[in-house]
Parts: sequence; structure tokens; C-alpha cells
Amino acid sequence: MSQPAQPGLAGRFLSAIGEPVVYTWREVTGVARMAALVFQYMLRGKIRWDAVAAQMYEIGNKSIVFITFTLGFLGMILVFQAGFQAEKITGDLQLLGALFLQILLREFAPTITALMIATRVGTGIAAEIGSMVVTEQVDAMRMNSAPPVEYLVVPRFIAGTIMMVVLVIYAVLVCYLAGMFTGLYAFNVNPHTFVNFAFVSVLDVAVCLVKALAYGMAIPLVASHTGLRTHGGSAGVGWATTQSVVSCSLSVVILDFILSGLSYPLLAAAG
Amino acid sequence: MTLLSALGPGDPMIRVEGITKYYLGATVLDGVTLDIPSGSNLGLMGPGGAGKSLLLKIIAGLVEPDQGRVLVDGHDVGTLDAHKLAQLRFNIGMVFQNYALFDSMNVGENIAFPLRQRGGVPEEEIQARVREQLALVGLPGIAHQYPRELSGGMKKRVSFCRAVIPAPPLLFYDDPTAGLDPVTSSKIFIHLRRMQQDGGTTAITISHDIDGIKPICDRFALLDHGRLVFHGTRDEIEASDDRLVRQFWDGFSDD
Amino acid sequence: MISRGLAAIGGAFNGLAFDVGGVVMMLLKILRRCLPPRADGPETWANLYRVGVKSFPIVLVTAAFTGAIMVIQSGLYIKQYGAEGLLGWGAGYSILREVGPIMIGLMFSGRVGANNTAELGTMMVTDQIDALRALAIDPVSYLVIPRFIAMMIMLTLLVVVGDLTALVGGALTGEVLLGVDTRVYFESIVTLITLQDFLSGVYKAVAFGVAIAVISCHFGLTVRGGAVGVGRAVNNSVVASAIAIFVIDYFMTWAMQ
Ligand SMILES: Nc1ncnc2c1ncn2[C@@H]1O[C@H](COP(=O)(O)OP(=O)(O)OP(=O)(O)O)[C@@H](O)[C@H]1O
Ligand SMILES: [Mg+2]
Repeated sequence: MSQPAQPGLAGRFLSAIGEPVVYTWREVTGVARMAALVFQYMLRGKIRWDAVAAQMYEIGNKSIVFITFTLGFLGMILVFQAGFQAEKITGDLQLLGALFLQILLREFAPTITALMIATRVGTGIAAEIGSMVVTEQVDAMRMNSAPPVEYLVVPRFIAGTIMMVVLVIYAVLVCYLAGMFTGLYAFNVNPHTFVNFAFVSVLDVAVCLVKALAYGMAIPLVASHTGLRTHGGSAGVGWATTQSVVSCSLSVVILDFILSGLSYPLLAAAG
Repeated sequence: MTLLSALGPGDPMIRVEGITKYYLGATVLDGVTLDIPSGSNLGLMGPGGAGKSLLLKIIAGLVEPDQGRVLVDGHDVGTLDAHKLAQLRFNIGMVFQNYALFDSMNVGENIAFPLRQRGGVPEEEIQARVREQLALVGLPGIAHQYPRELSGGMKKRVSFCRAVIPAPPLLFYDDPTAGLDPVTSSKIFIHLRRMQQDGGTTAITISHDIDGIKPICDRFALLDHGRLVFHGTRDEIEASDDRLVRQFWDGFSDD
Repeated sequence: MISRGLAAIGGAFNGLAFDVGGVVMMLLKILRRCLPPRADGPETWANLYRVGVKSFPIVLVTAAFTGAIMVIQSGLYIKQYGAEGLLGWGAGYSILREVGPIMIGLMFSGRVGANNTAELGTMMVTDQIDALRALAIDPVSYLVIPRFIAMMIMLTLLVVVGDLTALVGGALTGEVLLGVDTRVYFESIVTLITLQDFLSGVYKAVAFGVAIAVISCHFGLTVRGGAVGVGRAVNNSVVASAIAIFVIDYFMTWAMQ
């Protein structure tokens, strides 16, 4: 095999741009193929419910403390910020709670929860599957006609999707309560005034749940896909783990943009 | 359950045709061609990094070659669809060089895994066969332990049990006795030969223990830097005057 | 059952105490070696370059999308009250002060912090750190200080550049999706956003950079147990960094009003 000639500066520049594009394209098609495979197995009823339960515990229960902490602080931060912003223009804090709940549902609760799950669960899944790949456990599965997608990905996909919805609902609660206390102590907004559902419609709740569902399906798929592509010893596992956080977080941000954009005309027409 | 044989009369059980594999611009397997007749046991030798494990994985369909093809039992491994490949693999038992035991399962579950995957074996029989296998390799009563609690040699033996428990007609061993003491090692080799004689299995045995595989294999191949240096019967290897073959076979270095 | 539960809780707190203590110790070790400041020059430059190259593209993409999303969300209120002149301010204020630094910090932690933990962790499990010690090279001075400096400087720069990218991404979205003229959008930013808004985001970036550097080095240098251990350490490192980002952000928001 002859080595290709060293590319010039222009070539290197092009490859610097082209490489991420090619990588992203391969990643997206790979994940799409895996998603199709996952749905095939699920339709054929090849679901190992004991593994799903174990993954639900791993993904859900073990994230509770983390989500409580981060989303709790987020609630305080957002109300602080919104309060100061409102004081500056209108000085009217009556609607603080109502507006906070609305934006919490539409945007922050699903998206920030998903970013946190991308961080904790995305790395976890990639690290676990990645080390199974480098220690040849995945090969051993395939030799016993146990397809890795059926055995490893399907349970994580189902558990991840369910748990994401549950965690987002929980996150709304935590974040809202933290915001309420911040409203009371920082701005003297009475909880009776703060708890105000006037601005929340079915549409806002629907946007929240659709986002949660989309993130919940994307994160396990992207992380599993990254894990299964691991190669090359313990350095490879490190690679997979880092790649997974980035890919999962980026999918969340891009999905958020798409879903927010799509829901904008609906919300604008309704509101 | 398992795939029907597509062998014609006189066809070898395994046929490897011009297998070539590149990694990062380096040629790690270079046009390897060899036949393994049904019922024979091929001893695959070669220095570290020669490409032995890789060749075995290509034969098992775990790694795709860049050129060439592999026929197992008459089926082209590269073109079988997922379902047929899965069925073909029910005919194969494989010991991985690095054990490849499932971390999340205990020893008993690991060994029972192939039987449970194939289905149709009652639970009591599974348990009995697991106990029997573990006793055969000198590890009775460790079924409830987890792979992380075992030594390297113990893991190797568990991995051996998992490969042979369904009594498959094809067996691939990647260094089945690495890290074992001589007594256990010879026990494994004896067990291996018995399966060969009683069950008429076809096998590939990678090993650095040349004296260990001399009595159990009837064909030998030597791989060096991805090239097949030698491939033939015992008589042929004893008559060969290739320098590397002599070094491996006679077990000394003349420089 | 109860005692097992208690043991689990005890174990968790034990682990927490170990990591919190370890992070503080790491910070102290770094500070001690920074007085007087001495860092391996070439190693620091190499790290600045690597951290920058690794994180800039991904962070800028994230920032552009974040700006777009914030404009969509503010746009809903702006439309409702017909105050299009406030769109730039409404989105810009949250981007510069909160959402920008938080999102960029989280992305940076995922890209650079995680990578750092994986790299140091792999060096740990392959005994490379012990090999350094055997050569009488202090791993903290040689490996940690350059990374610390590189991460702090690069995250600060990233937030500055990312803020701008987010504002531009927001402007585009405002024009295309909401029909708010780009000139109106930027006018409201220029007249209503203060230097303080921008700077408070930058201060946060410095603090996040310090936190991510210290946390990722601590988890990297305490890895045990092979490939599995490296994966677990990366997981812990990004979780701890995310918590640190939110906690630090809260206190800085509170202090900087
Ligand atoms: N996934 C991979 N990526 C890159 N290179 C690889 C990969 N797998 C194998 N190789 C290379 O292929 C060559 C053959 O490796 P292989 O594991 O087959 O050697 P081996 O003959 O089994 O050696 P040993 O006796 O030490 O087990 C080596 O040079 C190795 O570096
Ligand atoms: Mg090998």
C-alpha cells in the first residue's frame, strides 16, 4: 500500500471542514439505521423486560439526585434573572410565576433535563457498551446469535424513553418549587400569586412532552451507537465516552431548535 | 434450528480464499488461502501480532475482510443475511483470546448462555451440564462467582466451558491454554482431543504451546506478518525446510 | 435490609466526601504551584492549541443554536405585546448573562473536560503516571497546570466568541422566522445591553473554566480498574462538572446583580 501524497494547505483546510461533515453524516445515517432495527425488534416483540427494568433503575433512579440538584439551582437562577429583568422594565412581578411556568414547560425543563441526562446517561451507556466491545463481549454475543442491538440497545431505548418523560415531569416540579421559594425570598412574591396557571395551555404541556419524548429516544440511540463503534483498548473507551456526551448534547440542542421552530406558529397563533 | 449444510462431496468444511485485511494503511493479512477438511483440527501458529486472532474473527464473520471470502459449511459468511448467519453460528463454539466473559452475568449464567440462546433445553439439564463442564476443567462450585472475582487462568477455563457446552460441530479456540499451569493445560488438551474423536468436530486451535497442540492437531498452519508461510499435514510440516517453520516446530532458535 | 440501605447511603457519602475533598486538594495543589507561576511553556502552548481546536467548532454550533432558540422563546412574548424593539434585548440579556455561559460551559465540559479525564485516566490505568513519578517528574506540574491554564483561558475566549455567535444566530432566526428586522434587533442590543451584562457572563466563564479543569483532573488522576474504570471516571467527571456549573452560576448571579 502506497501512502497518499501529503495534502497541501488548501487540501488540509478542506479536509478540516469536510471531516466533521462526513463524520456527522455517517453518524446520522448509522443512528437512523439502528433506530429502524430497534423498532423491528420491538415490533417482533423481542423485548427483555427484566433488562428494561434494570435499565430504568440505572437511568431513572440514579439520576434523581442529580436532576434535583441541577434543575433546582436552575429554577432559582431563572427566577432571579427574570425577576431582575422584570423589575427593570415594568416593576410588575405579579406575572412572574405564570410566565416562569410557561417557559419552563416550553423550553427549560425538557431541554436542560435532557442535557443533564445526555451527560450522565449518555456517557454511562457509551462507556458500558464500549468496554463490552473492547473486551470482545459483543463478539461473544454475536457468536451466540444474540444480536447486540436486540440485547443491549432495545432495553436502553425503551427505558430511556420512558424515564426521560418521567424525569422531565419531575424536573418541572423541582424547578417550579425552587423558583417559587426564590420568588418569595428574593422578591417577596407570595406563593399564592406565584402559582398561577393562567398562561399555561394544553399546547405548552404537549410541547414539553413531545420534546421529552424526542430527547428520550435520541439519547440512548446516539449513545449506544457510539458505544458499539468503539475500538482500540481502554483509550477507545475514553474516546467513546467523550464522543457520546458531545453527540448526545448536540442532538438535544438541534432537536430543540427544530421542535421549537415547528411549535412556534402553533404557540403564536394560540397565545 | 441450525442451517443446512451446503457442502458438496469432497468440499472442505472451511475454505479461506485470498483473505486480505488492511488497518490504517498497513496490511495485516495478506492473501491467506487455506482449506480445513471436515473432522480435522488445524493448529494455527505464528509470532505475536501475526494476525492469527484476526483471521479467526474473519472466519467467524465477526470482522469483514477487505478482499477474499470465507466459506463455512459451504456458506459464504460475508453474504449470509443476519438470520442465516445467526443460525450458522449456532454450529460454532469460540474461545476468545481475552476470555470475553459477560461482566454482568455470573459464571453459571455465562456458561449457560449458549444453551439458553439456542432454547429447548430444560432448566435442570442446563444446570447439570454447567456443573459437569465446570468439574471437567477443575473448577467445581464457582458457578455463583462473577468474572471479576476470577484469575486469568480461571476465566480462560470458564470461557472454554461456554464454548463447548452446546457441543457444536465447529470449534474455534484462540489460545485455549494461555496462562494455565501445565497440569490444567494438558487436561484441556485431552478434553479437546476427546471431543474431536467422539464427536468428529472440526476445529481451529491457535496456540503458542506447540508441544501441546502437536498431539491434538492433524493439520498445521504458520502465519507470519499476515502471510501464510506454511499450511499442510503433520508429515509435510516435519519435512518442511522453511527456517521459521523449523524454529516453531523444533522449538529453538538458531541465531 | 435497613442496614444494607444505610450502608449504601454511608458508602455514597463516603464517596462524595472523597471526591469533594479530592477536588479541593487538587485546587490547592494547583494554586501552590502557581505561586510563583511556573508552567512548562511548550506543554501549555500545546494544550491551548488542542483545547481550542477541539472545542471551538462544537461550541460555536451550540452557541448559534442557543441564540436561535432563545429568540424563538422570547419572540413568543414579544409578539404577544407587540414590542418588537425589545427582542434583541430580551434574548441578548439572557444569552449573555445566563444561557450562553451555561450552555457553552456544559458543552466545554462534555468535550474538553471529559476528554481530559479520559486521557489522564488512560495514563493512570496504563501506569504512565507512575512512570512519570519514577522519572522524578511531578504529574501535577507537568500534566495538570498546563491543562488548567489552557482550559481557563480557552473557556473565557469561547464565551466571548460564543456570545457573539449566539447573538448573530438569534438575529438570523428573528429575521427569518419572526420577521423582526436585523437592524431593529441589534439596535435594541446596543442601546439596552450594558457592559456589565456582557462581563458578568465572562466572569462566569473564568469560574466555570477553573471548576471544569480541577474536577476533570481530579477524576482522571483517581481512576482505578482498567477500561471500565476510565468510563466510570468520565461519567463522574461530567456529572460533577454540571453540578458545579449550576451551583457556581447561582451564586454568581446572586452576587452580580
Ligand atoms: N481493530 C484493529 N485495529 C487496528 N489494528 C488491528 C486491529 N485488530 C488487529 N489489528 C492489528 O492486526 C495485527 C494482527 O493482530 P492479531 O490480534 O490477529 O495478532 P495475533 O497473531 O493474534 O497475535 P497474538 O499471538 O499476540 O495474539 C496486529 O498488528 C494488530 O495491531
Ligand atoms: Mg491473538
